Amino acid sequence: MNLRAVLAIILCKLLRRISRLLHRGGTAMPGRFALKLCPNLLELLARDVKTVAITGTNGKTTSARMIEEAFAREGKSYLTNRSGANLLSGITTEFVMNSTLFGKVDKEYAVIECDEAAARTVFGQLRPRVVVVTNLFRDQLDRYGEVTHTLENIREGLKRIPEARLCLNADCSLSSSLALDLPNPVAWFGIDAGAAASRGKPSLSDATHCIRCKTEYEYDYITYGHLGGFRCPRCGYSRHAADYAVTDVLELRGSGSRVVMSIHGEKQLVNVNLPAMYNIYNAVGAVAAVSEIGLGAQAAVEALASFHCGFGRMEQFELGKSGTRMMLVKNPAGCNQVIEFLQDITDRFVLVICLNDRGADGTDISWIWDADFEGLTRMAGRIEQIVVSGDRAGDMRVRIKYAGIADEHIRVERDYEKLVDWLAGQEKPIYIMPTYTAMLDLRQTIVHRCGGTDFWEG
Amino acid sequence: MELKICHMYPDVLNLYGDGGNIRCLTQRLAWRGIESSVTRLPIGEMALLAGFDLVFIGGGQDFEQQVLLEDLHRGKDKEIRAAVEDGLPFLTICGGYQMLGAYYETHDGQRCDFIGVLDLYTVGSPTRMIGNYKFQCGPESGGSLVVGFENHSGKTWLGSGVQPLGRVLAGFGNNGEDGTEGARYKNVFGTYSHGPLLPKNPALCDYILSTALRRKYGAVELTPLDDAAELAAHDEMCERVQ
Repeated sequence: MNLRAVLAIILCKLLRRISRLLHRGGTAMPGRFALKLCPNLLELLARDVKTVAITGTNGKTTSARMIEEAFAREGKSYLTNRSGANLLSGITTEFVMNSTLFGKVDKEYAVIECDEAAARTVFGQLRPRVVVVTNLFRDQLDRYGEVTHTLENIREGLKRIPEARLCLNADCSLSSSLALDLPNPVAWFGIDAGAAASRGKPSLSDATHCIRCKTEYEYDYITYGHLGGFRCPRCGYSRHAADYAVTDVLELRGSGSRVVMSIHGEKQLVNVNLPAMYNIYNAVGAVAAVSEIGLGAQAAVEALASFHCGFGRMEQFELGKSGTRMMLVKNPAGCNQVIEFLQDITDRFVLVICLNDRGADGTDISWIWDADFEGLTRMAGRIEQIVVSGDRAGDMRVRIKYAGIADEHIRVERDYEKLVDWLAGQEKPIYIMPTYTAMLDLRQTIVHRCGGTDFWEG
Repeated sequence: MELKICHMYPDVLNLYGDGGNIRCLTQRLAWRGIESSVTRLPIGEMALLAGFDLVFIGGGQDFEQQVLLEDLHRGKDKEIRAAVEDGLPFLTICGGYQMLGAYYETHDGQRCDFIGVLDLYTVGSPTRMIGNYKFQCGPESGGSLVVGFENHSGKTWLGSGVQPLGRVLAGFGNNGEDGTEGARYKNVFGTYSHGPLLPKNPALCDYILSTALRRKYGAVELTPLDDAAELAAHDEMCERVQ
């Protein structure tokens, strides 16, 4: 460890201390300054740590929490960027906070969520042993550009770590294509044909044409979005058989799912303590990652049964007489999955949709027109009340109106204090769909009112 | 009355909530008791455009552009040219709008020939023009104030054969330099305003619907609708985008 690095570490720790004294998070800023002093600081710190990195569009945080739970259950020492600071600066801060002044990190493992655009710069320094790519969907075009551009960012990052084991989603034609020209060993995860009802060709697909030869894909089955048993009729690029496969979805309940997984050919019943189809993907990806880093699949399977995610991802609060569940939405694919989840709720419920357009949400809200809010009309009889909120409540109101719900049934409430007051008096269960920054603010208002643990206490 | 709408290339030109515009067109007709049908015309399928009353083309990713051009040059380009000259109303957005022009030149000089029915061309620039923006439509396009979102790196330049759709009040528009936004030619409306262009701008939507209905049925008076929600969203963004 050279002097620059030591100075950078001291600076980082000091800035973090000051941030906390000022009641700020200090999750990314200290690392940013430390990196200015010592640009390869993360590389020096991460060298002896066995790291699992998680990237991709949807499910990074949930997957990371699932994997982390397995480490915790196994009694391993690990660090993780639970705060969600997933760029180079935030990841560096996390390592520094777990390091001595001389750069000795006192943890054996790390579970690191990495922004898909930052993968390009992070992976070379972080040198993860295992990388999970959850999936790739169209997301925040104003920030990431086209989805193929995001794929390139991840590929560039992976090129620097040819020895890392990749856990790739076999059902995603976009992220699967990483295996085409990278030398890394690959473990595949996915949902097999027949495990769940296949849909018809989706109206929303982020990958209709072959990534290699631009011919339209054919599908044996589709789980959601563009995920499923894809096959290119011209060049033969197709879904790879999954080493970690969900072979049967036995039950999809409001509280969780029961599935059968085939882990390297061995079948096992797995309970996932988190509802919705997309979390089954996160679960099987987590099993792959935990197994590939060497903890054994069993550790992950046990973790999945007891795991709580929190922080806006299907998080529950004691708000209202029948409780509240908060379900973060970021892009059409994820939003459709949440609407699908609501489809299976049998009780009458209150629905709050909270749309912001700040930097972290994506400043372009066009995506709400790609999401299937029309699905809400199919459950209109069970919706007690729809409330729209957030900076772009006006646009959300129009979206819901054009989905087919009469404007007089849509309530607009922009003030979170008033909204939470009103929700507290509700008899029916409450479901909240916020975008990222709306989730942060609304969550704080709710936690302030009805307690609830901080997200890192899970 | 009935409008037959053709949604061209919904399979590849569907990047920014373009379905929202189709939904808006059909819903505002339905609220007035006017029927409509939407025919999707994906890559590889041909149809005679003369059978339609309104054509919509949205924006897409660069990734599919090559597939699209091959398909266009298999005959759809001629079909589109004939339909435009015949006065068929078109609403074209972003990539779909550029496509009606003469060509697209990337900023390293590679040139792609487009349909060439509108007197305009587009040159790629290294920086993207992204953000909420607003423009005032010209009188020949209804004169309404439109607020939208643009995200394009191509700079479009209009020739003398077309009118701009409007004048930029805030944001970039066609090229961020000459203050023009979009293009009007015969019954073609071209714009960079993507996704929820029409839902939040009901006056423009109704103007396009009237254009299509008038062409088919002669003088048509559209029943006013209760646009409280639409106008609230419109006014709020107009206020914000300065």
